[in-house]
Amino acid sequence: MGGKVSPVEALSPASRAWGEIGSRSSDPHWGMVVDQERCIGCWSCAVICKSENDVPLGMWWNRILTEGEALDQPEVVRGGALEMHWLPLACQHCENAPCVKVCPVQATYHRRDGIVMQDSDRCIGCRYCMIACPYGVRNFNWGSPARPTPHETGMVPARPLGTVEKCTLCVQRLAEDQVPSCVWSCPTGARVFGDHNDAGGRLATLIREREGEDLLEEAGTRPSVRYLPPRRRNPL
Amino acid sequence: MSAIVAGTAASSSRSSSGRRAYALWIVFLLGVMAAGVVAFIYQFRTGLVVTGMRNTVMWGQYILFFMFFVGLSAGGLIVASAGRLFGVAAFKPITRLAVLEATVAVMLAATFILPDLGRPERILNILLHANPTSPMIWDITIVMVYLAMSAFYVWLYARADLARRGSWLALGTGTSVRTMAREERIKSAMAWIALPAAIMLHSITAWIFGLQIGRGFWYTSIMAPMFIASALVSGTGLVILLALVLRRFGRLRFGDDLVALLGGLLGVFITVEGFFILAEYLTASYPGAPEGEAAARMLTGPYAPLFLFEVGVGLVIPFVILAVRRLRRDPRWVAAAAAIGIVGIFVHRLNLVLNGLSYPNIGLPPGLPVGVAQGGSSFLTSYWYMPTLVEWVIVSGVLAFGALLFTLAVRYLPMQEAQAH
Amino acid sequence: MRRRTFLKAAAASAAALGGAAGAPGVTSLVNGGRDFDVAPSLPVDRAVRTTCSPNCTGSCGQLAFVRDGVIVKIQQAADYPDAAYNPRGCMKGLSYLNQVYGPDRIMTPLIREGDRGSGTFRAASWEEALDRVADGLGEIGRRWGWDSIHVFGQVPGSGYIQKGANYRACALLGMSHGTSFDFNGDLPMGMPITFGVQNAEHEAKDWANSRFLLLVGANPVETRIPDVHFLFDAAERGARIVVVDPSFSPTASKADAHIRIRPGTDAALALALCRQVIEDGTWSPDFMRACTDAPLAVRADTGARLRWADLEPGRAAAAASAAGVYVAWDEAAGGWAPVPIDRLGGPGTNAALEGTRAARLRGGDVVDVRPGFDIVREELDRWTPDAAEAVTGVPAEQIVKLARAYAAARPAAILMGGGSNHWYHGDLTGRAFALLAALTGNIGVSGGGFSVYVGQYKVRVDTSPWWSPGGTKANVVPSIYFVRGRTPTMHPDVPYPENGWHGLVCTFANMFVQAMDVNRLHETLRGLEQIVVVDHQMTETVRWADVVLPATTWYEKTDLTATPLHPFLQLQQPAIEPVGEARSEVWIWRELMRRLDPAKAAEFFEMDEEAAIEAILEAGSGDGGPTAGITLDQLKAGPVRLNVPDPDIPFRRQVEDLVPFPPRSLPAPLEKTAAFVPTGRIEFYKEEPRFIELGETVPTYRPPFDDTVHDPADWPLTLLTPHSKWRIHSSYANNAWLAEIHGGRPEVFIAPADAAARGIATGDPVRVWNTRGEVVAWAHVSESEQAGSVTLYEGWWPRQFRSGKGVNELTSSAVNPIHEVHFVGNMWSPSTGWKDCRCQVEKASEA
Ligand SMILES: Nc1nc2c(c(=O)[nH]1)N[C@H]1C(S)=C(S)[C@@H](COP(=O)(O)OP(=O)(O)OC[C@H]3O[C@@H](n4cnc5c(=O)[nH]c(N)nc54)[C@H](O)[C@@H]3O)O[C@H]1N2
Ligand SMILES: Nc1nc2c(c(=O)[nH]1)N[C@H]1C(S)=C(S)[C@@H](COP(=O)(O)OP(=O)(O)OC[C@H]3O[C@@H](n4cnc5c(=O)[nH]c(N)nc54)[C@H](O)[C@@H]3O)O[C@H]1N2
Ligand code: SF4
Ligand code: SF4
Ligand code: SF4
Ligand code: SF4
Ligand code: SF4
Ligand SMILES: [Mo]
Repeated sequence: MGGKVSPVEALSPASRAWGEIGSRSSDPHWGMVVDQERCIGCWSCAVICKSENDVPLGMWWNRILTEGEALDQPEVVRGGALEMHWLPLACQHCENAPCVKVCPVQATYHRRDGIVMQDSDRCIGCRYCMIACPYGVRNFNWGSPARPTPHETGMVPARPLGTVEKCTLCVQRLAEDQVPSCVWSCPTGARVFGDHNDAGGRLATLIREREGEDLLEEAGTRPSVRYLPPRRRNPL
Repeated sequence: MSAIVAGTAASSSRSSSGRRAYALWIVFLLGVMAAGVVAFIYQFRTGLVVTGMRNTVMWGQYILFFMFFVGLSAGGLIVASAGRLFGVAAFKPITRLAVLEATVAVMLAATFILPDLGRPERILNILLHANPTSPMIWDITIVMVYLAMSAFYVWLYARADLARRGSWLALGTGTSVRTMAREERIKSAMAWIALPAAIMLHSITAWIFGLQIGRGFWYTSIMAPMFIASALVSGTGLVILLALVLRRFGRLRFGDDLVALLGGLLGVFITVEGFFILAEYLTASYPGAPEGEAAARMLTGPYAPLFLFEVGVGLVIPFVILAVRRLRRDPRWVAAAAAIGIVGIFVHRLNLVLNGLSYPNIGLPPGLPVGVAQGGSSFLTSYWYMPTLVEWVIVSGVLAFGALLFTLAVRYLPMQEAQAH
Repeated sequence: MRRRTFLKAAAASAAALGGAAGAPGVTSLVNGGRDFDVAPSLPVDRAVRTTCSPNCTGSCGQLAFVRDGVIVKIQQAADYPDAAYNPRGCMKGLSYLNQVYGPDRIMTPLIREGDRGSGTFRAASWEEALDRVADGLGEIGRRWGWDSIHVFGQVPGSGYIQKGANYRACALLGMSHGTSFDFNGDLPMGMPITFGVQNAEHEAKDWANSRFLLLVGANPVETRIPDVHFLFDAAERGARIVVVDPSFSPTASKADAHIRIRPGTDAALALALCRQVIEDGTWSPDFMRACTDAPLAVRADTGARLRWADLEPGRAAAAASAAGVYVAWDEAAGGWAPVPIDRLGGPGTNAALEGTRAARLRGGDVVDVRPGFDIVREELDRWTPDAAEAVTGVPAEQIVKLARAYAAARPAAILMGGGSNHWYHGDLTGRAFALLAALTGNIGVSGGGFSVYVGQYKVRVDTSPWWSPGGTKANVVPSIYFVRGRTPTMHPDVPYPENGWHGLVCTFANMFVQAMDVNRLHETLRGLEQIVVVDHQMTETVRWADVVLPATTWYEKTDLTATPLHPFLQLQQPAIEPVGEARSEVWIWRELMRRLDPAKAAEFFEMDEEAAIEAILEAGSGDGGPTAGITLDQLKAGPVRLNVPDPDIPFRRQVEDLVPFPPRSLPAPLEKTAAFVPTGRIEFYKEEPRFIELGETVPTYRPPFDDTVHDPADWPLTLLTPHSKWRIHSSYANNAWLAEIHGGRPEVFIAPADAAARGIATGDPVRVWNTRGEVVAWAHVSESEQAGSVTLYEGWWPRQFRSGKGVNELTSSAVNPIHEVHFVGNMWSPSTGWKDCRCQVEKASEA
């Protein structure tokens, strides 16, 4: 590839330092927390996901839900007050992953480091995993990809027609010790990436101290992504 | 005995006109099949974007027909083998038909999986990389086993007569009393296998849905029983219809009392089905839990008319017809009831799939990405699936294929149970 | 609390997994040995460090990843030496490649074929297009004078070089250069009036040092995406956030308290808060004495300040000193004390802040005088919590609570935004909040201050070598006079062209969408012989051009940028070859100059961007200069902190070293802006005749004012047009990724009550109109909206409305005469009241 380098090698030392994963255990289980107090629903994480992974128009691996009446609209809560929170949602990389269980051909599978992966060359496009996923984070390639740019973008190859795709935890970046793109690009620091098995690490500590929550815990999927609840307000 | 007379009349009048009609029928079926194949190739090239399915409702018409035909098949076989097991001699005349129907139906069910796949050419991965934890693998396995079994069953029933005709299909064995007796024993044994097989077949299909914790609307233990009940309704219904048709063409001889008997049976099945539906949706919607929302929407959402049809037309009307003794004795009424019952069950499947999927599990705005660029927002908090022309053509193609199989089968296989002396 | 149905405390599952951290173990057997067999990232040619530069305030460092000559990803550089600023950037910047390569990109020069506005053009060669422009401008220049050509180029902070080329060309040819900061309504007139500066704000990082953050008319969750986290940092350290906003803005959703206020009444709230802190005794008189004009005596007869020189000699307590210009009453000494203008502090040992006294003037007459603060107090006394409640709709006890909470927390910061500033009387609002900050001694201290964050207007380096060739400055004419012609009260120093306007060069701006009172603007356009638009997107403004010149994006050229929000100087560096035939503005002006005045072109326009940047760095490198020690090579490697204190907060030297106000506002010479506050102090009393005439000598409240609305009852609703999270004004409105999120359809947010009264439901097409114009958009009945106002975010393209016309049909071009008391372009100059706009809304017919 005439003088090409990996996008990580192309970074200046300062930029590269920003993305380094940092401390981890000997046998990492990758995961993430999303801080609902810091999240401002800006979709930077969703947009960079599209860009990093060349996700075509109409598909989103990562999206930001509004806990409200409509996009960026509050809801009336008890006592007539208004409230609004944002809930960024991508693959939760469940330890007990319904999608993995149901896939007839093991096209979606677990890596030892906790990442739920997708094998586009094996997927037969039955979409049973989409039925099974309680979070609705899987996208099917219904037609050939449409892009706003005339050329393919991003850092991974496009997925074939008729297969399912979803968040890979930017596995292509992890190999080079770089956090996922959505974590890099969150302007408020609402996303923290790390190793669940690294008990002293920032991820585990945040989950412990701020009582990280599971999305749809009752589904028993045991997500590798946790949510930090908004702070208590201190009204006048 | 009028029917028999009519039957002989029909058969004796195998006139040239009849043959032409028959030829036309075959040509017509081949034509529809060809259209189906073309549509399938088009879909394969362009992608499933040509269907009405999207990320929200990612299963549609094809899976619907898969479930439906699995039901028809199971239902048919249960009737057949139950008749034999419990020595309901009256069923004898239609046993072969029931078995044949079951066989053709399950073949269609299997066929319907193909157009549903995004990558049908990779279907063999199911064998190469089978995932033991996937209900779909269980289902495909049972479908295969079941297919083989019912095919053998058909042959078994036809063998003796084939042998009399000296057809090679009889695979030699004569028709001595001893062999006949042995066959009777095999048949009874087969019935013992067929019945549970049929029940398993449909339960597993039910579990494809029923085991999904992510889909509150489906996540219920009653799913399998409900599927069985509806299978019995649709299966019996279809057997009744086909039987009457064949009698019309003189390929089958039986009296109206059998029709009445089957009608009564159908009535019972419909009652059971109705009971399950009530039990299910009551428990689902009563607590007002988020899972119940979908159930509640069946009565309020855009598909409400369908549900009202499912229950109102699909269950109540046939039940009433079959409950009235006088009507039950009239084959035309029974036929009507059967037809309505079958449609009702189809609509029930429709409701099940659509209402289970139309609203994403997490319903917060802006919702789920549709999956295709559509201009404007690409998110939806609800999606109303409508099959496209392509889907209809492909489905018709498969149905035509089934009709062809059946037509040929009834033509070349003796339908009438051999008269034992 | 809907979220409860989705989120359940993980405690249980954590336990199930063993260990509070929930250290997991994957249970599934399904992986077929495919553990770590992933392909690495696709390789790229390079990652180029540049700066995102729409008319934002972010000035965010971005990396353009280039593969085979095209950009395949844009991502924040996150390389600020001060990590607090990383990663810095928003979803818009990240999606800009859709603009660079999008369907609206202009690929070649265009020459108009159909009628103006029809948008029918033919592609032309650069040769032809440039000749056409040169002929047109030359013709106008010879016939009407070069000053009748208006060059509109928007705020310079997002590109000192390419935008600076406009100034350079204007200076050389004598064309009139328009204004932007005032035109944008961003110039917070309260700042020059009170502090004598164009504007002065704390760097965003300093928010985190605050104990109390009072946000008025600012929506940083949507409009300061890269910086808003500093609010959360402060909150994590226990600070309180209070948001004053008529709507439940996304920022309000993050606040400890949201205070709903009637639009345009913030001044009344501020005055009541000031009164309250005085009543509670939680204010600091010493700061008022030392740094403000509070003690300076004002004559009852003329309303002018008493000058030391007016006093009868000998009667003064202290001997007259040359530096003693103004006069204060020294309680301790019991006599008049001279107040110098060359340093703050004093005056005397204990200057009086109230009471009327008789002063004998030379010549013998005796006049009543009182400290300026006494007059301020008199005004404040009117603003009891109840009086303020009547005007603002904010409950009296909430006002008292707010005053106490604000005064109790030190340091406390006031962050004002366009929502409060974009009003005809926005200057009064600014003056009132400045008073609150001063009363509580929150000026010049880290974590405190009164900052107005609006626009990327700031000139932070010495641009003169590039903007003012051979020392000649461009003539600057406020662009609002281009829209509505000269006003009777216009300041005599404004170099308004005597033959009026005959040509327009619009660049870096979507003027015909973003300018106020657009229909009035079009009257001006009719009189123009040539309209030239330089842009890279096919905007509405472009559609009206006679000649369109395709510009490069900031991924295709070199420039130098800075912003008020952070103190880092950054480069724009080309990542790719220009798309299509696009060219940079410097190149374009050079080519035009070669045609219009070859001699000057040869002398002044043959230098390239890098040379210009080096000249600028050099000019500001003097001791204490902003660019001291900064080199081009450093900038090529990454962002470099300007030579400013850390944290960068205004007025520190004034408050700590008692250096008189104002600090310099580049690029104006100090004496120009010093004239705004002749006392050299923070001025809450203005003695200029027009202030006296209009009764605005001290901070006060004036009701919202819409010049063409005589009876507000005719137009019952206020039309608020804040800035959208999804766009930078009209930029990004056509971005495919963002449209997938927000749907690309202008929505009018209307309160349930107002909607019900009009039979309007969400999704209905609605007609919004007033005396100036109308639009048809789609209603969204919203609990966040306050009855009495509707919100329609600015920046939608006309083509996105059903009516095909933009919202600025409705906004007003009224000029407040106070803004014409002095004139320094972009510094004391008419500021637009976007939000001061009445309207009516009705359901529009379908289809
Ligand atoms: N995403 C994005 N960011 C931007 C811009 C953009 O276009 N898009 N533009 C940039 C520029 S140039 C500017 S000037 C700034 C402007 O950005 P801001 O300073 O935030 O100003 P606005 O968005 O106009 O209004 C902010 C809030 O003021 C409220 N408001 C309206 N009227 C009143 C009032 O009378 N009183 C009070 N207290 N509040 C009121 C509105 O409801 C709104 O929530 O944003 C900059 N940042
Ligand atoms: N109703 C209402 N109107 C408002 C406001 C409001 O609050 N309400 N806010 C006002 C404010 S605060 C502001 S700052 C103004 C902003 O007004 P504008 O600055 O005119 O707004 P933009 O839409 O950002 O226009 C920027 C234009 O420059 C083009 N451009 C981008 N990069 C380049 C380049 O490199 N070269 C050239 N030649 N062109 C380029 C973009 O394509 C875009 O068309 O809007 C004002 N208008
Ligand atoms: S980028 Fe960060 S703040 Fe923005 S939506 Fe994603 S998580 Fe929330
Ligand atoms: S979130 Fe969905 S897709 Fe991701 S692992 Fe869990 S079930 Fe699978
Ligand atoms: S769609 Fe692909 S990944 Fe999903 S279940 Fe089917 S085969 Fe597996
Ligand atoms: S981890 Fe990577 S793939 Fe997953 S959401 Fe973030 S950016 Fe997208
Ligand atoms: S649009 Fe503004 S905030 Fe967003 S990246 Fe560009 S400069 Fe930064
Ligand atoms: Mo602005």
